[in-house]
Order: sequence, then C-alpha cells, then structure tokens
Amino acid sequence: MDNLFYAMAFIIFLTGFWIMLSHANLIKKIIGMNIMESAIFLFLVAIGYVKDGNAPIIAETNPGITYVNPLPSALILTGIVVSVSVTAFALGLVVRLYQHYGTVDVDEITRMRSEEL
Amino acid sequence: MIRAHIMPLTVLLPLVGAYFILLVGSKHRSLARNVALVTTGATFAMVCFITYLVSNQGTLFYHLGGWAPPLGIELQADPITAFLLLTFAGVSFFVILFAYDILPDEINSKVITRYYALYLVLLGALLGIVLSNDFFNMYVFLEISSIAAAALVAVNGDKLAMEASIKYLVMSTLGSGTVLMGIAGLYMVTGYLNLDYLAGALPQAYASYPLTVLMTLAMLTVGIAVKAALFPLHVWLPDAHGSAPTSSSAILSGLVVKVYIAVLLKLLYRVFPLDFLTTLPLQGSLLVMATLGIFIGSIMAIRQKDIKKMLAYSTVAQIGYVFLGIGLFSEKAMTGAILHVFNHAVMKSMLFLSVGLLIKYSGKRTIADLAGLGRVYPIPMIAFSVGALSMVGIPPLSGFISKWYLGLGALEANHLPFLLVLLLSSLLNGFYYMPIVIAGFFKKETVEIQTHKVPMGAQISLIVLIGATFFFGLFSNIVVDFLAPTVQGLFEVFGGGI
Amino acid sequence: MRDIIVQVVARMMIPYLQLYGLYIILFGHNSPGGGFAGGTVIASSLILYVLAFGIDDEDLRLSGSVARVIESCGALAYVGIGLAGIFLGANFLSNKGAGFPLGIPGRFLSGGTIVLLTISIGLKVASTMITLFTNLAEKEKEEE
Repeated sequence: MDNLFYAMAFIIFLTGFWIMLSHANLIKKIIGMNIMESAIFLFLVAIGYVKDGNAPIIAETNPGITYVNPLPSALILTGIVVSVSVTAFALGLVVRLYQHYGTVDVDEITRMRSEEL
Repeated sequence: MIRAHIMPLTVLLPLVGAYFILLVGSKHRSLARNVALVTTGATFAMVCFITYLVSNQGTLFYHLGGWAPPLGIELQADPITAFLLLTFAGVSFFVILFAYDILPDEINSKVITRYYALYLVLLGALLGIVLSNDFFNMYVFLEISSIAAAALVAVNGDKLAMEASIKYLVMSTLGSGTVLMGIAGLYMVTGYLNLDYLAGALPQAYASYPLTVLMTLAMLTVGIAVKAALFPLHVWLPDAHGSAPTSSSAILSGLVVKVYIAVLLKLLYRVFPLDFLTTLPLQGSLLVMATLGIFIGSIMAIRQKDIKKMLAYSTVAQIGYVFLGIGLFSEKAMTGAILHVFNHAVMKSMLFLSVGLLIKYSGKRTIADLAGLGRVYPIPMIAFSVGALSMVGIPPLSGFISKWYLGLGALEANHLPFLLVLLLSSLLNGFYYMPIVIAGFFKKETVEIQTHKVPMGAQISLIVLIGATFFFGLFSNIVVDFLAPTVQGLFEVFGGGI
Repeated sequence: MRDIIVQVVARMMIPYLQLYGLYIILFGHNSPGGGFAGGTVIASSLILYVLAFGIDDEDLRLSGSVARVIESCGALAYVGIGLAGIFLGANFLSNKGAGFPLGIPGRFLSGGTIVLLTISIGLKVASTMITLFTNLAEKEKEEE
C-alpha cells in the first residue's frame, strides 16, 4: 500500500510517454508531455511525504511536530516552471506551424512537405 | 574577489548579458551584437582563468549561498571540466565573432536581438551543466539549454526549421522527462542530489533496492542518449541541425550535443562505481549502439545531397565515436573521448561555418554546387578542407589524435574489433568528405559565382579554428598531460572497488 | 464575444486576485507561496482582463515592451541581490553569511534577502506569463 503512489506515478508517466510517442497530433503530444511531467511531480511529492507530516514552516509553538520533506516540493516548483516554459514555447511553435500548414498533424505536415519538394 | 567567485560569475555573465541585450537591444539594434561579442569574449577569458587556477591549485569547489553540500548546490571544476568549459566558451566566442557581420543578413532583423539573447542563455546553460555538481541543478540547466537550442533552430520562422524545432523539442522533452524521473529515483534511494554524496551512498542503496537503482541508471542513460543523439535515438538531429541558421547549426552540432556527454561522463564515472557498471549489459549496448551509429551515420551522410544535412548526419557518426570512447571503460579510450569532444566541436563548427558562408555566397546548398568555389573563396574552402581532413583523421590534424587514443583504448580494453571499426569508418568519412574538397578546388564551377568580400571577423575566426586544429594535432600532449591525472583518478576510485 | 456577465464578474474579481497575488509574493518566506505562485496569480488577473474585455483595448493592458523591460529587470535584480552577497564578502546568493539581518521568524521583515528575491521572481514571472499569453493571442489575431 505504501508504494501505491510510486506505482501510480509510473503508470501515469508511461501513459504520458505513450501519448507523446504514438499520437501524430501535436497538441496531443504536448498534452502527453504535461501528463508525463505531472507524473514525475507526483513521484517527487510521494518521495517527500511523511505520514501525518505538516507543511515545513517553522512555527514557534509545538516543537515536537513532524514535517514533510521540503526539498522535493522545492524541486517540483522548479520542475513546474520548466514545464510551463517548455509548454508555452511548444504551443507557440504549433500556432506558427498551423498558420503555415493549416493542420497540427505531424503526418499530414510531412506529407504536405514531401509534395512541395 | 573575482578569483574566489570565478565559477558562479562565469555562469552568470552570459545570462546577465542576455537580459542586458533584451533590456537595451530593442532600442539600439547594433548594440546587441557588440554586447554579445564582448560577453562571450569575457566569458572565454574567465574560463581561461578557471583553467589556469585548476592547473595550479587542483580541483575548485564553490558552495552557492555558503550552504555546504549535501544541503546546498555545489559547483566543481576539475581538469576535465575546465577543458570542456574551454571548448564551449572558446567555440561559442569564435562563432559569434564569425557571425558579427554575417548574422544581420541571415536573421530577420525583428528577432536578431532575441537571437543574441538566446545564444547567450544557451552558453550560460552549457557552462552551468558542465560546472554543476548537483543533479537537479544540472537538470534545470539541461532544460534551459534544450529550450534555447530549439528556439535557435526556429528563430527565423521558416516552415522547415520550425517543424524540425518542434520535433527536437518533443524528443528532448521526452529525454529530459526520463532524466528527471531517474534523478527522482536516485533521490528516493539515497536522499542526496550532490554527485559525490550520491556516489558514497549508492553501494548501500544498491544493496537494499537493486531494482530501483538499475531502473534509475537505465532511465538516466536512455534520457541522456536521446538528448545526445546516440543511434537509434538520433532521428531529430539531422533535421534540426540541417535546417537551422549557420551559427545555430555550428553551436548545436559542435557544442549542445556534447554537453550531454559531459553529463553522461559525470553519471557513469563519478556516481556509479565502475565494477558495478561492468556487471551490467550496459557496456555491450553502448558499444553496439556507438558502432551502429558510426556506420549508419556515415552511410546516411554519403547518401545526402544537401550539404548541411550531410554534416548533420556526420555528427551522428562522430557522436558514435565519443560514446565508443566512453563505453570502452579504459583510460586511453576515455582520453580519446574527451579529446574528441573538443576536436569535433572545433572541426564541426568550422565545417558548418565555412559551408554556411559558401551557401550564402553561392545561393546553393547541394554538394554538387560547391564545385570550384575554392578558387573564389579560398579561406572558407581551406577551412572546410582542413575540417574534412581532420574528420577523416589525417595525421598532423587534431582528428587523428582522438582516433589514435580511441584505438589505443580499444587495444587496452582488449576489444580489437573496434580498431577495425575505426579504420573502416575513417574510410567512409573519406568517401563523403574528399570528393567535396577535390571538387571545391579543382573542378570547374557549375554555377555563376559572384565575388563577395568575406568579412574580417569571419576570416579571423576561421583562421583561428584552422590554427586550433593544427595546434591540438601537433601538441596534443599538452592536453593529454593536463587531463591524465583526473582520468586516472576516475578509474582508480572506482577500479579499487567499493 | 463580449459578455456582460463575464465583464462584471471580471471587474469584481480582478482587484482581489491582484491583492491575493501580492500577498502570496510578499509572504512567500513565512507561509506557502512565493514568487512563482504569486506572479502567476497576478498574471492570471491581467489575462482575465484581456479575456473579458478583448485584446484590442490598449488602455489598461500591459504593453509588450513594458512587460519585456519588467521581465529583464526582474531577472537582473535577482542576479544583483545574489552579487550583493559577493560584495559583502560571502558567497553568491549568501543571506545570513553576508550579514543580512534575519529578523524574527514569522514576522514580515524576516528572512534577509528572501523577500527581495521573491519580489523580483514575482515581477519576472508575472510579466513573462503576460508576454507568453499576449504573444500567443496576438498571433491568432494576425491570422484572422
């Protein structure tokens, strides 16, 4: 039962991985990318979680309280920043590609390009 | 003051330069390229100073914010790191110098300030990856570098480049997602992110969670291999490097692919104990993939008509050499791999820059159209020829030295078939490079050629790169002596067994 | 697509959203939150404005060039605070080691440079988010 989060995180990770590789639609690829990254964040949260732990902010009361590990949360925050910027850049590119080709399907784009040549 | 804080300042300088360009560049366009030139030049000078310090004082450490590891982020510079830093900062300075007069013609004037800013961000990220001794910090820099690199491909907004860029971005995000999962796994079993502490804690972690550690190693290696374009994960590289603007191709093919190799070196040689690695099928698969990469990359390069695509496929082959050197697990091969990172960075950027110049002046990008250009544009064509000969491995040039050390490494590790691989692949390299060189000088031109004056900056930077190819071919012992103690150290620490 | 309900609700919500974002930024060192979270909330309030009132209304919108200047300044301020650590004789980004007063935990004025760092991150993140949004939105507009 303890490992449920790890197992779930891996299942979600592989789902995202599969979406990214198998779909030709670029928007779906980007969604898969985000699913994959969320799975990693879930995995990191699960690593840092301590049973019955509180948010790791030092309060002057109650010295015997247990805290969750703050480091994974800090890492996730950085990871989220990274994933937001990658997503934004990818979406920007997709918008521009859509303007040129009128489609967001990679196979379609490849076909159109090979006809042009 | 600079002496003690040289490492963070070296990483910061390009990043500050990038934001400075964004701040002032939109009003003063011409300022952007001067700032970029000065910043890369100053970074190069600082990296030289780091190298000097390392050669005098040994390995340097720096704790960000005064927090000692395992809590804080640590930067570390040993001779191998310093050598890689020197490669990255040096080549990117000469690429910027080359592009000083050429880039404004090649890049849309609306985005040129942003181009320089991205270039500097990329340089800062590369230096950060090499210097960082903390896995998560390295991951953040990896992501910065992959976004900046994908943006440098797409910057001009033409269709092919943007398509290549999104392909590159998707593949490299797959790779970095896998790397991050691996890092999370390492943190889970050991509780550390600092490389030295990880190395200390791993044997015990392996005893308790063998499967998790193995899976982590697999994820990290595969993730890095995607980003470094190890065959069969190279599919994104030819398009991305072939369709980017000249200076982007040069720095992407020369440097960005290499930095992942620096990460792999740190991972395989500093974190995981070597006697543990030798019990896994890792060595076999690395060597097989490297060999296949060398051959298939070369064969694909022979089939190309577009010269930039050909150079890009040649990068796939050359990455194979570096992985070969890493996978042989021997001192000489390791030296060869590190030397090849440097040599390939110099040669490939020189090839891309000279080809870019020739394409710009002739207006054609197929191989057949380069015929006869050597008589009109001697310096670019000589640079191309020197790079090509060095790629093939002709003795006084630096490409020979790295192949020589790889060969010695294959002997040392008792993997004789790889000598044959090296010989055959050199022959293949000759197949696709030599006809261009010969045609460039001795054939009659197929297209009408207008003569343009080659800008001063471009000439200087090509001549310096040619000089570097000769210098490091003739005096390679300087570098080898500089690297030898550290390379030996890598093998002693882990060869001694834990 | 101008909807009166959306516009009224947006007009009511935007000040509170911005206040909330500011709170998250300024109390990032004492409670959950920080520069990135708060900056995103502030940016989302401005994006909400654009969504409700349309992108053509230039009056209240943060223009691209201003956003770019704020963005660069935020990043440079972060580096500047980090360099202050070096000038005060400690390592890059040093806080207590460089002699910044830490104050009493839990008070607003505590944590040395961390407040300044979260503010600069907040500025940077908010303006970056807005730039990203307007870039994507304007591209669609050009296409029409």
